[in-house]
Amino acid sequence: MEVITITSGKGGVGKSTTTANIATALAMLGKKVVAVDFDIGLRNLDMILGLENRIVYDVVDVMEGRCNLAQAIIKDKRTKNLHFLPASQTKDKSVLDKDKVEKLINELKKDFDYILIDSPAGIESGFEHSIYLADRALIVTTPEISAVRDADRVIGIIDAKSKKAKEGKEVKKEIIINRIKPELVEKEEMLSIDDVLHILALPLIGVIPDDEDIIKSTNLGEPIVLNEKSLVGEAFRRVARRILGEEVEFLDFNKKKGLFSKLKRLFK
Amino acid sequence: MSFFNIFKKKKSKEVAKDRLMMMLAYERANTHIENLDEMKKELIEVVKKYIKVKDVVIKTSSNQEIETLEVEIILEK
Repeated sequence: MEVITITSGKGGVGKSTTTANIATALAMLGKKVVAVDFDIGLRNLDMILGLENRIVYDVVDVMEGRCNLAQAIIKDKRTKNLHFLPASQTKDKSVLDKDKVEKLINELKKDFDYILIDSPAGIESGFEHSIYLADRALIVTTPEISAVRDADRVIGIIDAKSKKAKEGKEVKKEIIINRIKPELVEKEEMLSIDDVLHILALPLIGVIPDDEDIIKSTNLGEPIVLNEKSLVGEAFRRVARRILGEEVEFLDFNKKKGLFSKLKRLFK
Repeated sequence: MSFFNIFKKKKSKEVAKDRLMMMLAYERANTHIENLDEMKKELIEVVKKYIKVKDVVIKTSSNQEIETLEVEIILEK
């Protein structure tokens, strides 16, 4: 049983998409998973998972005692083992507090193998609550300077906000590089995987190529991992297997290319 | 001509990397110590007891692995 927080610092780098896909992929691998949206006031994960019409209660209702946990958890009908706990749309972010968060997570721990927390952007209280009880943090960044800069700041404060770190234990921290464009990296017009890892000095757990399929899957409310043929889906499925401790090779995106670019690379 | 070529050859990712590393070196160095000014004053007081001090310069730097604090004591001539 593991609590995994998906975080980033910068907004719009694909945290919720990552959370939805890893949660779905872990469930497909037979683990009992709950994805929890901690982005209070800016609920997002519900639409990416395609579960927005089934929400009755949310995470704040549970913490305030307006309903019990079982009433608020939504069981996905397409993917067995996948569950979802939505964020509240209330404007008041201060509704979360440490003790209530801890009580909620401890209750979830009794029922689930994996608890995935979708953290809000920024480094304020919402982030602090979502990282407080994490065993593991996945830091999502794109290969852009602003995203990497914010990722660096977040990495620097994870331990300061974590209960585990305060007890002298270690929060596992790993990087997911999202929306990489292999053609641009090849032309040296985009930071490469090695560049990002060199700067952030943490191990890599996923590389997700930029792909239009993602937009389509968000439109439909169907996580891309459900599409067996999708390369992006495969990239996320591999992240899930790595979370389970399996050693899985990283995808080689250049394989898809023609003879010409291969030749060009030889002469570089 | 060759002067311009230097800039032409530099791909945008190299520029991105350089800018990012400069910014992070600065940000990593400035996030940690809260009462730096206070510490500086106290350090000057302590060193003053023994030698004549002009100024104390404190530099911090860090990456994910290691953090250092550099204290430079400038003496009066």
